[in-house]
Amino acid sequence: MKLLEVKGLTKKFAGLVANDSLDLEIDQGEIVGLIGPNGSGKTTFFNCICGVYPVTKGSVRFEGREITNFPAHKICKGGIARTFQLVNTLMNMTALENVMVGAFCRTTNTNRAREIAEELLEFSGLPEKKDILGSDLTIADKKRLEVARALATKPRLLLLDEAMAGLNPTEQKEAVELIRRIQREGITLLVVEHVMQVIMPLCERLVVLDAGKKIAADVPERIANDERVIKAYLGERYYAKRATLRSE
Amino acid sequence: MGRLKPLMVRQPRIFWRKNYIFALAFALLLALPFIFTAHFQHHVMIKVLMFTFLGCAWNIIGGYTGQVALGHAAFFGIGAYTSSLCYIWFGLNPWFGMFLGGILAVAVSAVINYPCFRLHGRYFAIATLALGMIIRLLFTNWRLVGGALGVRLPLLPESLWNFQFHTTKLPYYYIALVLCALIFAILYKIERSKLGFYLRAIKESEEAARSLGIDVAKYKLVAMSISVFFTAMAGTLYAQYILYIDPISLMPLMTSILICVVPVLGGAGTLWGPALGAPILLIAIEYSRAWLGGGGRGIDYMIVGAIMVAIIFRPGGLTSFFQGPRFRQWWRRIRG
Ligand SMILES: Nc1ncnc2c1ncn2[C@@H]1O[C@H](COP(=O)(O)OP(=O)(O)O)[C@@H](O)[C@H]1O
Ligand SMILES: [Mg+2]
Repeated sequence: MKLLEVKGLTKKFAGLVANDSLDLEIDQGEIVGLIGPNGSGKTTFFNCICGVYPVTKGSVRFEGREITNFPAHKICKGGIARTFQLVNTLMNMTALENVMVGAFCRTTNTNRAREIAEELLEFSGLPEKKDILGSDLTIADKKRLEVARALATKPRLLLLDEAMAGLNPTEQKEAVELIRRIQREGITLLVVEHVMQVIMPLCERLVVLDAGKKIAADVPERIANDERVIKAYLGERYYAKRATLRSE
Repeated sequence: MGRLKPLMVRQPRIFWRKNYIFALAFALLLALPFIFTAHFQHHVMIKVLMFTFLGCAWNIIGGYTGQVALGHAAFFGIGAYTSSLCYIWFGLNPWFGMFLGGILAVAVSAVINYPCFRLHGRYFAIATLALGMIIRLLFTNWRLVGGALGVRLPLLPESLWNFQFHTTKLPYYYIALVLCALIFAILYKIERSKLGFYLRAIKESEEAARSLGIDVAKYKLVAMSISVFFTAMAGTLYAQYILYIDPISLMPLMTSILICVVPVLGGAGTLWGPALGAPILLIAIEYSRAWLGGGGRGIDYMIVGAIMVAIIFRPGGLTSFFQGPRFRQWWRRIRG
């Protein structure tokens, strides 16, 4: 049985097809990468799985259970946690309290929740930040907090949406290390990332989206040489180069 | 894990030794009516406690959860009417009526407020404000419950059981004080429980809350239910104190706004906020009414308006002055 099974998932926004009949299967214990240029529908895909948007067509199954269009909080209770591309820190709560909110998903005891939260802050490299308000954390710490908070809900599948964007190379390395540690805890990961050098060695499998369609799915080495993928990304690099030339 | 710090489960003895300031404040409140002995002063003190209580009740939905409800006077009214009419019609003791009023308020609020939870910010505020006014209009035109003329409670021999006192108003003060202590204890508990964390998370970001497994609509309903239950209880206290209720004096817009401004002035979503806001507002309002006559000149409205404008410059309210690092240091030194 597959851990996650997405079949023909389609999401339309008033005519715009953000996800076009996507299929995806994830096995227990894998790290799967989801890549694609900006606006190709990666975040939308997460939001459809997690019940933020109702899907237009298609189905999502988790551990064999039909969960299509379940409300977001039930998805989380069911064992799928996610982070947000635009960090969604609880600003007026401390780092510890942020993680405690997640921990309350599995316990009603405050002391137990604090215990779990302290462990996870340690796990994600934030132990000395626990009494700092969410609003006072750096972006790198906010991203780590987001991961710790998601982990506190005890997920079996974790969806990371650009958890490394905006981090410097050292912080990126720490983030990769964190993801590996999460995998070792037995948690399956679906990772959206832009930084190729980071995601290539990390993932066992890559899925490439372009304009809402899946254009490739394979092991990283073969994806790197896939013509359509290069075209989709080259196009973007080309535009990026043009944009920097113009701004100079 | 042996590292666990037992912050919340303090020994009661240590609690009182460490918090002798609370004990002192409570003793002062017990003695207050014997320091200020005039009838009018007692009246103001009862009002202050009543609005502290109401402010605490509002704080659950408006402060901690961040859903600015502006129709709470309606539930205050429902509490007052339920206990009063149940006594007049069925001879039900007002203490039970108080409880029944709370339950009825929860039921009414579940029906009319639940749909409002889809609205956010000012839209939620306007919707609850409108619903509050509609309920007042209903009562004004409802013959069976006395219409615009209201209801006069029959006089009974004074006793705690009858919830009526005539020779002195002091017992009402102590009843209000006990109610305040009760709601303080409950809020203290909630702040440290899963419920309190969930309500604060909803206030910060509903999207993040949902992603962490929080059923936002359910918890908003829970917060609103607790809030209106206590609001209705205060309604019974008021009815037994005044012994006459009518929609105009019970459910004016001003009451809804005061219930909200009291905690907001003190500090929305804080335990002590209502206790700071209520004395300032109620003393100012009651004395301006007494000096300028009848409240007809609208000075009380101007005071509330001015304070609402002032809050724009200090959204954290008065308690935010006590949350800086310097104050914490000083506080730690005092508590030893
Ligand atoms: N809530 C929304 N309403 C309308 N269009 C949206 C919405 N969310 C995303 N889109 C559109 O869907 C497309 C895919 O967006 P997104 O999933 O955010 O891409 P990615 O995460 O891959 O950068 C974009 O064209 C975007 O403008
Ligand atoms: Mg995105």
